[in-house]
Amino acid sequence: MSLLESREVSKLYQMGSTSVTALDNVSLKVNEGEFVAIQGTSGSGKSTLLNIVGGLDHPTSGEVFFNARPLGPFSKREMARYRRYSVGMIFQNFNLIPTMNAQENVGLALAFGGLRGTQRNNKASELLNRVGLADRLTHRPGELSGGEQQRVAIARALANNPKVLLADEPTGNLDSTRAHELLELLRRMASSDALTILMVTHDRELATSFADRIIQMKDGAVVDEG
Amino acid sequence: MNFFDILQLAFRNLRQAKLRALLTTMGVVVGVAVIVTMVSFGLGLQQNMLARFGALDLFNEITVFGRSLTNLATAGFDRQTGRTNEGGERRGPRLKPDKNPTRILDDAAIAEIAKIPGVAYIQPTISLYVYTRANGHVRFEPAAGASVPNGSSRFKTFLAGGMISSADADEAVVTDSFTEDFGFENPADAVGQTIEFLAPPTNTNEKSKSEPSQAAEEGPANFFGIPLDEQDTTDASQTDLVARTFRIVGVLDLHLKDGPGQGGMVGLLPGAAIYVPVRAARQWALEHRGPMSQVALALARQSGSLNGSEAEGYDAAVIRVSDPVALTDVRKRLTDLGFGSFSIVDQIEQIKTVFLIIDSALGLLGGISLLVASFGIANTMIMSILERTREIGIMKAIGAEDREIKLIFFFEAAVIGACGGVIGVLAGWGMTALANRLAYRFILKPQGASFIDFFSLPPWLSASAIAFALVVSILAALYPAARAARIDPVRALRHD
Ligand SMILES: Nc1ncnc2c1ncn2[C@@H]1O[C@H](COP(=O)(O)OP(=O)(O)O)[C@@H](O)[C@H]1O
Ligand SMILES: [Mg+2]
Repeated sequence: MSLLESREVSKLYQMGSTSVTALDNVSLKVNEGEFVAIQGTSGSGKSTLLNIVGGLDHPTSGEVFFNARPLGPFSKREMARYRRYSVGMIFQNFNLIPTMNAQENVGLALAFGGLRGTQRNNKASELLNRVGLADRLTHRPGELSGGEQQRVAIARALANNPKVLLADEPTGNLDSTRAHELLELLRRMASSDALTILMVTHDRELATSFADRIIQMKDGAVVDEG
Repeated sequence: MNFFDILQLAFRNLRQAKLRALLTTMGVVVGVAVIVTMVSFGLGLQQNMLARFGALDLFNEITVFGRSLTNLATAGFDRQTGRTNEGGERRGPRLKPDKNPTRILDDAAIAEIAKIPGVAYIQPTISLYVYTRANGHVRFEPAAGASVPNGSSRFKTFLAGGMISSADADEAVVTDSFTEDFGFENPADAVGQTIEFLAPPTNTNEKSKSEPSQAAEEGPANFFGIPLDEQDTTDASQTDLVARTFRIVGVLDLHLKDGPGQGGMVGLLPGAAIYVPVRAARQWALEHRGPMSQVALALARQSGSLNGSEAEGYDAAVIRVSDPVALTDVRKRLTDLGFGSFSIVDQIEQIKTVFLIIDSALGLLGGISLLVASFGIANTMIMSILERTREIGIMKAIGAEDREIKLIFFFEAAVIGACGGVIGVLAGWGMTALANRLAYRFILKPQGASFIDFFSLPPWLSASAIAFALVVSILAALYPAARAARIDPVRALRHD
């Protein structure tokens, strides 16, 4: 059974009199434990799809299912809970809070998960330890390299033990060596945590070397489900 | 995310823009300080005034009125709003009863009133003007009856001597101004001296017929001297007038009283220059009534309102209640018994209303400055939302609920409000203290007056000023918080 499924998901943006179709009847399934890459040119709707699957955005039509449950009827609060506990997201530009150090960034996600005090700090350093940043706990994003920042983002995404990691061009700002290292880390964590990964990338080489399956997108539609 | 986490985040955000937070807080500080200063000034004004009233026995006294002689005289005739009956024999503030009394305030009524629960004592009011001779001077002086013993604060401070020893003693207490008027160098010189009350010779004769025992008792030789000295006209014209003598036993100290007590207004008992025992004063008033009063008495007897030998009652009496709280109940009983009454407390209620209006107006001024501060808070919040859009988007992406986003902003505002409130109260307190020092140093001290606290800053005022600042701040954050919660995370996270 598939953990994630999108069924005829469309997203339209109204721009004055014209409308832009960012997603056009996208249907796909991702099984539990799979490492799936979505590949396509810029503007093909990859980020839009990922945001909808991650509960940050709503489709204009169609439905997303998580564990066979449709996200559509979720209240705002349930949607927040879904983002908090069920999925973790990482982004091309890391999206860390610049005024917080590594431990605080991870700790913020843990705080939303209800952990406090030393328990929270311990869990944060444990997570950072797992991504190889045990000696960077008190560094702020500005004091970390791109690869290190993305690893902090991974630690934060996994803070509340989600089943799915959604990654939007996670290596977009990294050189190829760092990119390989990062994906190596992701694959290791995925296998140890039984994590399902849906990763957007425009890099075909990376996708083929790490993903179990590659979904091809073009102009908002899936052209090849891999 | 619990209370503490949110508070921590709020503090962190405020620290991020220290100067801005500080300036925003300053707005609240000023607003609260203005409120506190203004209202505590109003309260201080009220407190100082009420404290003086309280010290002067104006809170626990009632004047009770009986049916007046005029009223008795005109009963059965067309009711006319008659002028007072005693032909200028009364003195002191004209206190009006709340309703027209229907009963005569005689000794029996006095005894009855004394038994009302809550009544500590009652003393009839007798005020007269008498030609008085003492120390070789003659003056037309106000005199009054005083109960003996007397618990009123009027008879507490004596410059010399003390209170009249018993209800039947031919003793008098005079005021300090009396001793000056009669040429005594020191108040103490007056103690032991005699006061002579003068009356027309005919009256004296009548009196000696009707009540020889009373007058003869203490009356000096001139009484028996009347027939003896008949030939000595000059001497007779002098001595014949003397109707009654009293020995001065005490001189009251009314000089230092200032404020509402000025002029000897202590309690509701009308002031006078000479106080003699009630019985003596009453006797004098009945025996030496003015012609108009005699007409009224005759009319009253004719109309049957008064029996042949019956005397009219007292005009009024002053009641002291044991507890100001009992005052209203006692007054109700008096009304039930058919007497009219008056108390300052009614006026105090009105004064309090006036002060409430003053305090509100002053508070409103402060409220306006706090309103201005609230715009500052809203502005700061909106600015910080614009700066923190991405941060809010991130928080939403990692699972923050709208409620939590809102709470962060509310807490930020609350921190500003609470800090501003506390500092504002301290600043207000400091300002009032400074103003007090300055007023003392430059106004009171040069006049030789003692220190007065013009302000009253009760704990409830501090607490409510802080609470008000808190509420206003949170209200100011209402819109910014809602706006922050509405931020679309996709838009906020889109890379620049
Ligand atoms: N808020 C928006 N308003 C209008 N058009 C948008 C908006 N967001 C995305 N689009 C359009 O949707 C299409 C898909 O965008 P996106 O999902 O970001 O592509 P990708 O991530 O594959 O580069 C693009 O043509 C983009 O211009
Ligand atoms: Mg994209």
